[in-house]
Amino acid sequence: MDTQARAKRLINPWRIEKNGSQLLAASLQRRRRTAILFLSIAVFSIFAIALTTGAVAISLTNVLGNSPTSDFERLVFSDIRGPRVVLAAFVGGSLALAGASLQGLFRNPLADPGLIGVSSGAALGAIAMIVLGSALNLPDWLEPYSLPLAAASGGILVTLFICFFAQRFGQFNIVTILLLGIAVNATAGVGIGFFQYVSTDPELRTLTFWMMGSFGRSTWESVLPAVALMATASVFMVRQNQTLDRLQLGEAEASHVGVDVPSLKRRTILMSATAAGAGVAVAGTIGFVGLVVPHLVRLIGGAAHSFVLPAAVLLGASLMVLADLISRTIVVPAELPVGLVTSAIGAPFFLWLISRSTLR
Amino acid sequence: MLLFACSSHAEQCDPVTDVNRIAVAGGSITEIIYLLGYEDRLVGVDSTSNYPVAATHLPSVGYVRNLSVEGLLSLQPTLILGEDDMGPPTVLEQLKHAGVDTRRIPERHDAQGILAKIECVASLLNVPQDETEARLQEFRTVAEKLKNAHVSHPSSEVNVALLLSLDSGAPIAAGDNTSGGGFLRIVGATNVFAELDGWKPVSPEFMTAANPDVIVIPTRGANAIGGIEGAVSHPSLRATQAILNDRIVVLDGMAMLGFGPRTLQTALDFAIQMRRDGFLESPE
Repeated sequence: MDTQARAKRLINPWRIEKNGSQLLAASLQRRRRTAILFLSIAVFSIFAIALTTGAVAISLTNVLGNSPTSDFERLVFSDIRGPRVVLAAFVGGSLALAGASLQGLFRNPLADPGLIGVSSGAALGAIAMIVLGSALNLPDWLEPYSLPLAAASGGILVTLFICFFAQRFGQFNIVTILLLGIAVNATAGVGIGFFQYVSTDPELRTLTFWMMGSFGRSTWESVLPAVALMATASVFMVRQNQTLDRLQLGEAEASHVGVDVPSLKRRTILMSATAAGAGVAVAGTIGFVGLVVPHLVRLIGGAAHSFVLPAAVLLGASLMVLADLISRTIVVPAELPVGLVTSAIGAPFFLWLISRSTLR
Repeated sequence: MLLFACSSHAEQCDPVTDVNRIAVAGGSITEIIYLLGYEDRLVGVDSTSNYPVAATHLPSVGYVRNLSVEGLLSLQPTLILGEDDMGPPTVLEQLKHAGVDTRRIPERHDAQGILAKIECVASLLNVPQDETEARLQEFRTVAEKLKNAHVSHPSSEVNVALLLSLDSGAPIAAGDNTSGGGFLRIVGATNVFAELDGWKPVSPEFMTAANPDVIVIPTRGANAIGGIEGAVSHPSLRATQAILNDRIVVLDGMAMLGFGPRTLQTALDFAIQMRRDGFLESPE
């Protein structure tokens, strides 16, 4: 069997092995196309529903028209609800994509941005800023960006640290990176605990809510830089779908078919760190999306990355916008932290996934 | 003195043009609104507004530090009043942008601070001067009594520990620069943990060494460990003078630490209780 066939077999094991006919492969193709189409429609409809639903009742005719309430409704629509829905979509999409890429890279279904320490690095950066920020005397114009900047630097520092050490230890070994991730998570945990200890009471409460994640702090000024970062990183990640497919053969085999494995690892880790770090920076830590969405997508249409990556973006975006919609409408006029919603949905689902795979 | 305290924050206390729909973020401010008889204007309060009970039936805008812009705007408030620590900052920025008059009431953890807070809210609600004065007079009387209770019985001899919670391992104690520290100062007691800055977990050894004569716990903290019995058998507290002499006091958390209208009376009652039950040794 040539390598191409082996690769296909690894990617779509049950489809082809059942009765190696072309028909099933073709039907899988159709199924993937339908899924992508369906997910795209889902993204747009959920996006539209989210934009028109919320604590303040808004009628689109008022927003576009010129009635007395127009100004107020337009403000809520474009400056308050607009940025947060856009941000939720991008954060959801890039967290899911980062998760899918890392799972592909590590050939480990448990990988996600949290695993290699990016999320906790970003969280540590943000928490350091919450606690130490007042002592820094930042200029006023920098103030709104200080938290996202600190979080992004935290995430990127952690990533560079992991890349540096992984190379120092000889090779870009998957096990090394996973172990480094554990070490980084533990170290960040120490840092977070320390800052919690030295923080004042109001800082501690700010920090607690920040850790639960929220899109409630979104303004266009804070959202746009993050969106630009996440979009750039996402484009790079999606373009790696074929090399990620070949990597599923194993590292040695992949390099035999022409994959530059070390460079693939570097790029994937850096890009997913950028995407996840930017997301954590503006929205706080939001769990389970990066982990669960890729699994869901693979259930729908198999493990080929040309399908998994774009589908993960679409499904991640839809689910996150939906989770945010729930978080801001369920206890009106207050709101739930969105991280609570995603974990409440994600954790039981993850349990179901585990029981499903062990029972089989 | 009072005028001076207020004038430094004059802007925040300036009269508001439209006070018909008020949303409040902060339990003490809700209490002040009820005190001034403006409760029919309230359209929403935050989750720390648990007194009077009627306030808990109003729509909840969430936690004072975690407000939601859209949620607040959906109540169509003409005025948003917040405690000093309301947030997050982006939400306040957006509220300002939406053109809603948003005021942050300055907070100081002493008796004058409470009076200033009431005066500030009254001033921005356009309450007639003489009415405000009459209200404030009651509080000045209580403050005066507190001072006297303090002078006649220098309770600086009484070492008190104010513990926020006891259920999560090490008790969280009120250090300096906390509402708890301020409350003990109003009472005239010595805070055994004054050397700590902020609310801090205290180790059992440190607690035993500090050896408070009296321990104060908010109701919620006491309930979490099964009332006073729970406190008596708490490993951190067991060896302290307070437990040995059965001097644990459970007080309503918001009344004690909210620095609203109830705080002064709570402090006075506590001072009287300490004297009545012989917590204070008279100086002869």
